[in-house]
Amino acid sequence: MTWKSLYWEDVQEGQQLPTVTMNISCTTIVAGAIASRDFTPVHHDRAFVQSVGMKDIFMNNATICGFSGKYLTDWTGPQGELKEISFRIGASCFPGDTMTMTGKVAKKYTEGSEHLVDVEYEFNVPGGRNCGGKGVIALPARGR
Amino acid sequence: MSQEYYEELKKLIGQGGTPREALDEVCKPMIRHWCEAMQDGNPLYTNEEFARKSKYGGIIAPPTMMLTFTMPPLWPPRQDPPHPFEQFLAKLDKAGFLGILVTNVSQKYHRPLSPGDRVTFTYKVTDMSPLKKTSLGNGHFVTTSFVFTNQKGGDGGHSEFHRLEVRHWVGRHNSRGGRNR
Repeated sequence: MTWKSLYWEDVQEGQQLPTVTMNISCTTIVAGAIASRDFTPVHHDRAFVQSVGMKDIFMNNATICGFSGKYLTDWTGPQGELKEISFRIGASCFPGDTMTMTGKVAKKYTEGSEHLVDVEYEFNVPGGRNCGGKGVIALPARGR
Repeated sequence: MSQEYYEELKKLIGQGGTPREALDEVCKPMIRHWCEAMQDGNPLYTNEEFARKSKYGGIIAPPTMMLTFTMPPLWPPRQDPPHPFEQFLAKLDKAGFLGILVTNVSQKYHRPLSPGDRVTFTYKVTDMSPLKKTSLGNGHFVTTSFVFTNQKGGDGGHSEFHRLEVRHWVGRHNSRGGRNR
């Protein structure tokens, strides 16, 4: 199997990342919570969340973080190296939601020997913007 | 409302306590479970052959997985002395603030984790806002900071490889189900 590599030279500022959609089920949310060892009831216990007035269980922040990493390196290929991720969480993501992931290259630059891009991305769900953030990624450069 | 708890909590800001060791060493099963849940097919995390030929020389953990290693045990309860961060949460519970929602996450990755690594982390509350009105009710914004190190690094010391900041909203809306962190 071969893996794609996105080179720094081939990226332009303003370039859009591919839009990715994910169907979020109860299983998606519970699997993410447990893989991140987050046993807070709001991420797996529907009866509990509804008893405190919330609509349903919702995605935990570690899963949003994991999806952020996935979205960014699915775009770059495995040679893209995550340096930083920061995001703000808004509308909760519930079972049955379709999550739409979009992004664009905000900045392309070098720092020392590293060839970097800043990507601004967001995940949207029917209730609004689930998260909006920025990733800093080091990319391979040609002939170096 | 009494602001006594607020003054008490402020005293715990900046206190790091004793660094903690992760419950488990970094290992392939935890990494694979994470990738399965996150639907992340990056071969550096799960494809031995690809990872061996990469600049890392073997499997690495997804950098975004870092916080997983700080999570407390579901059972049995921790036996180590109470950490200032947990004292902070206990005082918030007492003052009636039972809900926590994460509002911002910011992470920097210096070097990746590999299977066999033992993660040690220092965490503390670095900031707390006065009581604020929000769409979820009245709450405080609390910022916590984690610094992660592993067993590698010069002179038998530790090297820092991840840094993480989390901003929480803490209010009276019970999203935590009691005292489960």
